[in-house]
Amino acid sequence: MSDAPEHLVKSFDTELKRLRDMISQMGGIVESQLSNAMNAIIHRDANAATRAVEDDPKVDALERDVEQFVIQLLALRQPMAGDLRQIVAALKMTGDIERIGDYAANVAKRSIVLSQFSLPYTLTGLANMARLVQSQLKSIIDAIGSNDTETAIRVWQSDVEIDDIYTALFRELITYMMEDPRNITPCTHLMFIAKNMERIGDHATNIAETIYYAVRGEVLTEARPKGDNSAYAVVRSRDA
Amino acid sequence: MSQATAPTQTETQSFGGVQARATTALNKPRISIRDLDFFYGDNRALKGINLDLPERQVTGMIGPSGCGKSTLLRVLNRMYDLYPGQHATGQAMMDGLNIIDPKIDINALRARIGMVFQKPTPFPMTIYDNIAFGVKLHEKLSKAAMDERVEWSLSRAALWGEVKDRLNTSAMGLSGGQQQRLCIARTIAVRPEVILFDEPTSALDPISTLKIEELIDELKTDFTIAIVTHNMQQAARCADQVAFFYLGEMVECAPAAQIFTAPREKRTQEYVTGRFG
Amino acid sequence: MSATTMTAGAVPGPAKDQKTALALGRSRKRVNTIVKTLCVTATLIGLAFLASILFTLLWRGIGGLSLTVFTTSTLPPGSNGGLLNAIVGSLIQTILGAAIGTPIGLMVGTYLAEYAQNSSLGNAVRFVSDVLLSAPSILIGLFIYTLLVDPFGGFSGIAGCLALAVIVIPIVVRTTEDMLRLIPNTLREAVIGLGAPKWKMITLVCYRAARDGIATGVLLAIARVAGETAPLLFTSLGNLNWSVDLSKPMASLPVTIYQYAGSAFEDWVDLAWAGALLITFGVLAINIIARVILRGGK
Repeated sequence: MSDAPEHLVKSFDTELKRLRDMISQMGGIVESQLSNAMNAIIHRDANAATRAVEDDPKVDALERDVEQFVIQLLALRQPMAGDLRQIVAALKMTGDIERIGDYAANVAKRSIVLSQFSLPYTLTGLANMARLVQSQLKSIIDAIGSNDTETAIRVWQSDVEIDDIYTALFRELITYMMEDPRNITPCTHLMFIAKNMERIGDHATNIAETIYYAVRGEVLTEARPKGDNSAYAVVRSRDA
Repeated sequence: MSQATAPTQTETQSFGGVQARATTALNKPRISIRDLDFFYGDNRALKGINLDLPERQVTGMIGPSGCGKSTLLRVLNRMYDLYPGQHATGQAMMDGLNIIDPKIDINALRARIGMVFQKPTPFPMTIYDNIAFGVKLHEKLSKAAMDERVEWSLSRAALWGEVKDRLNTSAMGLSGGQQQRLCIARTIAVRPEVILFDEPTSALDPISTLKIEELIDELKTDFTIAIVTHNMQQAARCADQVAFFYLGEMVECAPAAQIFTAPREKRTQEYVTGRFG
Repeated sequence: MSATTMTAGAVPGPAKDQKTALALGRSRKRVNTIVKTLCVTATLIGLAFLASILFTLLWRGIGGLSLTVFTTSTLPPGSNGGLLNAIVGSLIQTILGAAIGTPIGLMVGTYLAEYAQNSSLGNAVRFVSDVLLSAPSILIGLFIYTLLVDPFGGFSGIAGCLALAVIVIPIVVRTTEDMLRLIPNTLREAVIGLGAPKWKMITLVCYRAARDGIATGVLLAIARVAGETAPLLFTSLGNLNWSVDLSKPMASLPVTIYQYAGSAFEDWVDLAWAGALLITFGVLAINIIARVILRGGK
């Protein structure tokens, strides 16, 4: 909430700024983790994979720090209204961001396995999904810093596109696996990679809901549009 | 006025036998204030106040110094009659009677609307006489009935155990927290319907403060309560409904949870988060 | 500059000069000592006068004190008389005077403190009362003379009582008003808040709260009028015989002292000193009692 006047006690403003900066820093790290992970998959860049994995402990440490800081702020400042919502929101978002980082690191690790296989099929679908997810993540990380509810709503609504791509990818990968058993190992890894990306998208929408509540004081009550139908997907082979 | 938000899914449920604190449901009003203006001489201190005090619930009044919250409280039991040059216009309706009307029986009114002040003021008499004083003004009770009333008042004020052996000693010998509870006992002894608290704990230490907050929590089962406080955390702990005053106007009035988590008015938000005041 | 120079930017202005600070401190000490010495000297001078008066009183007075002082009325010189009629007369007039003046003073004081804090009538009454407080008591005596002695053709004890009452009234007014004003408004509001009408607030609570102060004031008024001579000269005149009849002249200690002290007869002069001793210690006793009450109340 960008209230024009500052707190009468300036040190409170300073501490809130510190909290925002910690979250921003986490956001920056996971954004670079994701971009490195995708480079590792698509361009088989082993260094990128290593960087993505090594960044993860930093994110975990920051999450613990944010948690401690939030508890301290609640005890020492007795925040109310907008301040209270912002501080509790920071606690929630830090959990989501940390999971995003974990997923990105996981993708990077799988890229190392994948690089041992030569794939007969293109990864354009996956690359598209990756671009979308990266752009959602960047938007939402920026929205945290600027308390931008418009962007948050947009991200919240566009998650359905990512889910659609994931459902399609799911079917595609199963088809490849049914065609040739040698494809099973790489395709399974690719499936997990795609699932991780879809989960990153979901966490981004969690963050969007949290931002909305922190700024507006109301909950986004409509059901989040969900397009992940992979749970219902059945692919039959033409032979059976 | 009171803008209630819809209760959440679980607010009406009881978990482990415990109900949610009545965050959104406000009872029907005991006192309805409409278009109230108050003047110190020519100076208009309260401007067009509209406020309902819900029955058997606590209404907290917060706001910066000089915003009119104490002034409004003192209008409700016509305390301003003591001072020439102060007068009020408008309506404060209780059971069809307008409190502001100069023609009503003011002593009977003050027996129905009691007040506890910031500074504990024990009368220079024994503890028993302190309590009996108010009762004798309005009722004729036998000794046994008076004893019972004194015991009841002191018990409800959580003071009986501490003073039952020294009812005939001077009230001036009690500690600050005890004196304030004595004043509360004295006020409830006349069996009012409404109790007004004017910053009741600002002169007390933190433990006495909490004891009195607990007392207010218990009293609200029988009495309608209005409490003016400088301490926002106290309003957050005690009140069911909170009204925020600024410069003689009532800016916002809503259930306590709403005022302190998501107030609607910008000025309320700024005051509550400590950005002015 | 000295080593105690402040860091730049902390406090504006030149740095603190240690030498001037020390010099100022020394001159302060000097002034302190001079003033203290002056005060102590003044006290000693005052105490010396007081001690000399008391000593003289005791020395001259005790000699004249005997049982006859308390058992015999005044008699012509040389007849071994006492002061009984004067003592009784003083007691009657003082107590009656106080009994008449106190209720009036109490009610006026209450009116001023509770009903007329700022009104013009209240201010006028207050002003008149303060003037009366310091009026020469002989004027009061003359006033009562014109009212009660002249038209009726004779001095009387009741006129003496009334003269003393007029002196008592402004003292009690002042004390009552001051004591009632000391009561914080919060107490008044607490009483009114319970639904008490104003008169009950005043009588049941305010008087109780101010009781000690008002009682002290009344005692001090009694102490004051016990020693008044001038008003009694024009009203009760004094009586050489035993008399408790209020419509006739009545004896009193101050008037008797006045008559005896200037006479040429030694036994009368001794009795005058004894009388003076009695009055002084009577007044002293009342003052001490008043103080004890005040301290006990706290």
